[in-house]
Amino acid sequence: MTLCPCGSGQDLDGCCGPIINGAPAPTAEALMRSRYTAFALGDIGYLADTLSPDIRGGFDQVEAESTANDAKWRGLEVRAVTDGGEDDEAGSVEFMARFKLRGKQRVHHELAEFRREKGRWMCVGGQMDPKGPPRQVVKVGRNEPCPCGSGKKHKKCCGA
Amino acid sequence: MERRFHCTACGKCCYGKLPLTLNDAVANAERFPLAMMWTTIRQGAKSFAINARLGTCVKLGKRKQVAVQITPVSYLPPSLPCPALAPDGLCSIHADKPSRCRTMPFYPYREEGDQSDQLVPRKGWLCETSGEAPVVYLNKKIVHREDFERERRRLMDQTPVLRAYADGLMANAPNVAAAIEKEAKKPRGGFVILNFTAIVSRLPQIDMAAFAQKQLPVLTGLADKTAGMSDAAEFHQYYRDSAKGMERFLERL
Repeated sequence: MTLCPCGSGQDLDGCCGPIINGAPAPTAEALMRSRYTAFALGDIGYLADTLSPDIRGGFDQVEAESTANDAKWRGLEVRAVTDGGEDDEAGSVEFMARFKLRGKQRVHHELAEFRREKGRWMCVGGQMDPKGPPRQVVKVGRNEPCPCGSGKKHKKCCGA
Repeated sequence: MERRFHCTACGKCCYGKLPLTLNDAVANAERFPLAMMWTTIRQGAKSFAINARLGTCVKLGKRKQVAVQITPVSYLPPSLPCPALAPDGLCSIHADKPSRCRTMPFYPYREEGDQSDQLVPRKGWLCETSGEAPVVYLNKKIVHREDFERERRRLMDQTPVLRAYADGLMANAPNVAAAIEKEAKKPRGGFVILNFTAIVSRLPQIDMAAFAQKQLPVLTGLADKTAGMSDAAEFHQYYRDSAKGMERFLERL
């Protein structure tokens, strides 16, 4: 048994392996995981094939070959999945892929977008180092009731 | 004000990096070691506007921006001659040499009125600039302007492709964006060398495999030639890394 590089804990042949060999990926996340695995295994052709034709021109296969050759993959972490399920037509996956390249630890953090094209999940783009939604801070006036529910003024309670 | 200039074919300007148009680069893939060179030009520099127009503009912070000249280059260390320079010291592809060579000494990445520096021979060059030489630049106008205009036009025509390529890398390759920001902070600007293949994949009319087959022997030849050359370490690294990527790419086909 070979552990799948994507970190699922499963056997490669029961995880990303069949998808890379041509079985349709059931979900956007499964496709994303198989792309990571393909990179780790050096299968650059698969990376190109799973990009939507709209963005394939932006993918430099030659450079990817040399990166794949030099990089030591250190693990994949899927941080958030939005839609992209078995019944969806589109979805996004936020992930972090860690690797070591030319002596430096690097992280590829991306919010990748996926869409079903002719029934198959394809990567249609992504945003590097995505920023989370802006943090909402509610300001509590000093004389307003304290949000902790004590009934006191904020300045006499938590805001003291 | 008139300036005189005559090329004596000394071959001294045929050394080191040579900027090329995209077409000249691709057409000479079996001859020149190709790379993409991104050069930052600070706001306020004389050539800022023309470079922003021919290349792209990158925002740095809220108000600052920097023009980026993006050009394919024949990427050679200053000590190595152009592969097309024949042993007799003349150009072996004179009839179809790149437009960059044809327009010399003028330079279309500068405004037409800002060319006088280009007419001062650099150290060691044997350009003729005395009273014997013909007038080539008169009242800030180039006298015979066909080559200059043709090169400028070709640069303008390729701008949309370069911009799509640059925008793609700036958005998706944080290391490129970081490198450009770093160079832009230097008072006189700086440059970054990137793989040429990233632009080839954006040219639908060019087959990557055919390109790689032409380019690979050039890169491996130069990787051997520059091994151990103290002034060419980064060139050597580039030839080796690019060649390795191409080899693996071709193997897999």
